[in-house]
Amino acid sequence: MGIIKKILTYIILILLALAWLLPVFAIIQAALKTPEQFNNSSFFEFPNKVAIVENFKMAIQRWKLHEFFLNSLIYAVTGGIITIIAASMAGFSLVRLKPRFNFILFLIIYSGTLFPFQMYLIPLYKIFNQVGLYDTKIGMILVYSALCIPFSLFVYRGFYVTIPKEIEDAAMIDGCNSFQLYTKIFLPQSLAPTAVVALFQMTWIWNDLLFGMVLTRTGNARPVMVSLASMSGVGGGIIPYIMTGVIFTSLPTIILFILLRKYFISGMVLSMAGE
Amino acid sequence: MKNYNKFTSYLYILPAFLLVFLLLLVPMFQNIYYSFFKWDGISKPIFIGIGNYFQLFKDLNFLTSFLNTIIWVVFTLIFPVFGGLLIAVFLRGIKFGNFFKSIFYIPITISFVATGIIWNYMYSREIGILNTFFSLFGLDKISWLTNVPLNTFALLITWTWQQLGVNMVLFLMGLTSIPVEQTEAAMVEGANKWQVFIHVIFPMLRPITTVVIVMATANSFKVFDLIYVMTRGGPHRSSETLAVTMFRETFTMSNMGYGAAISVVLSIIVVAISAVYLKNMLKKDLLYY
Repeated sequence: MGIIKKILTYIILILLALAWLLPVFAIIQAALKTPEQFNNSSFFEFPNKVAIVENFKMAIQRWKLHEFFLNSLIYAVTGGIITIIAASMAGFSLVRLKPRFNFILFLIIYSGTLFPFQMYLIPLYKIFNQVGLYDTKIGMILVYSALCIPFSLFVYRGFYVTIPKEIEDAAMIDGCNSFQLYTKIFLPQSLAPTAVVALFQMTWIWNDLLFGMVLTRTGNARPVMVSLASMSGVGGGIIPYIMTGVIFTSLPTIILFILLRKYFISGMVLSMAGE
Repeated sequence: MKNYNKFTSYLYILPAFLLVFLLLLVPMFQNIYYSFFKWDGISKPIFIGIGNYFQLFKDLNFLTSFLNTIIWVVFTLIFPVFGGLLIAVFLRGIKFGNFFKSIFYIPITISFVATGIIWNYMYSREIGILNTFFSLFGLDKISWLTNVPLNTFALLITWTWQQLGVNMVLFLMGLTSIPVEQTEAAMVEGANKWQVFIHVIFPMLRPITTVVIVMATANSFKVFDLIYVMTRGGPHRSSETLAVTMFRETFTMSNMGYGAAISVVLSIIVVAISAVYLKNMLKKDLLYY
């Protein structure tokens, strides 16, 4: 009885796992085929030659994917750095310098994670057009940073309250001022929260479609996901090129996940701290 | 104890505060203000009070979208959430558990846009993988994304593919925190596996289950990218949810005031759902003080 149940469990799991892998297999297979072979062969035939490099060249040539890729790389890195600095400084001050109204200030900033993005789109679109930030890299960096700061502040603040006060007291006896306290005591210990922020927020910036669509128009500022989305027009487009594009544009987040995978769980735990 | 300069302490908070205040909070209030106007984005806005909100109840497109959103929420709770729990329970303590875990985890690493494009190919009528498989069994080609209401369920299968892994990981985390002795003790007393699950495991998982349900519900209310990439909300606005309807009314049809009203309604729903979990968070948070 027990054996049969066990075998059944494994069969169900294996079937599900195969279903989960099917799309992954399908994109890799399509990206390897030439468009000619893709059109003239069935799904069950393997690629007769590896054409992913030519497909990649075409995706670059036709859709200028590399330009948008670079834009998003700038957004993820710059936005990530601004977020890390602004949020860790604010978290440090809220926890250790404890200005008056620190809890209210925290709530005001944190409220930025509460609302759906749709709440900001129309006014941002309008303001950006008025002040000349529409379709600029600076505008996008500002928006992405602002959107990333609330959650990041929450992460840093939650982490900083766990740093023992004795360390700070010792530093104060040594005559540290607040800036030295931040740079010499708090920042060097911030690896874990910074990894969580980098993983979640840089991935989020990279994957954004909505703000890219609303706040940009040209290749000058368009992020990569908007251009990827435009590759698959009505009628399906040329699948081997598109799937190569999917792989190319997904590489940064996949690499980031592999590098920082152990922070994924701690990040999830933090983001559901209400539990 | 030395007191740090009070003025400096605000200086550290200023950059974060300014960015959030100017780019999120001010626009948010502006958005609420816009929702009381009839406005095409170009000509002068006309104040109509809560006219836009009344209009919502008469707008068939909005009501369809609202119904779809509810379907998304219900389906999300059944498949990615409950399915994630089931798989987590299955995976607990079996051989190759980690191997299976990493397979379900793969889709987390790619964007909704990439996911949508991949599944557009899976669902394609002529060259799609699903129809290719079905034709092996002599079945007719199916137009997955253009048949109503099949298209919404096709989208939800894709959603499940992407979301199940996250919930599974969270439930697995909760499961590993349950001491083995406790489940074994119940087994010794003659409970079967199902009874152990209902009477021992599930109650201990409750805190994590609450959070997963709240997060998944809020996320399914906010879903946009996947639908936008796969169907654009179509055909004939049949697969729209609130976030897609808001985008369409605002940026395709230039009904800015009306779009703002939809986003306010969406926000009220999302904030109300998150309130459950925010309350807990804040309660815990006040312990710092």
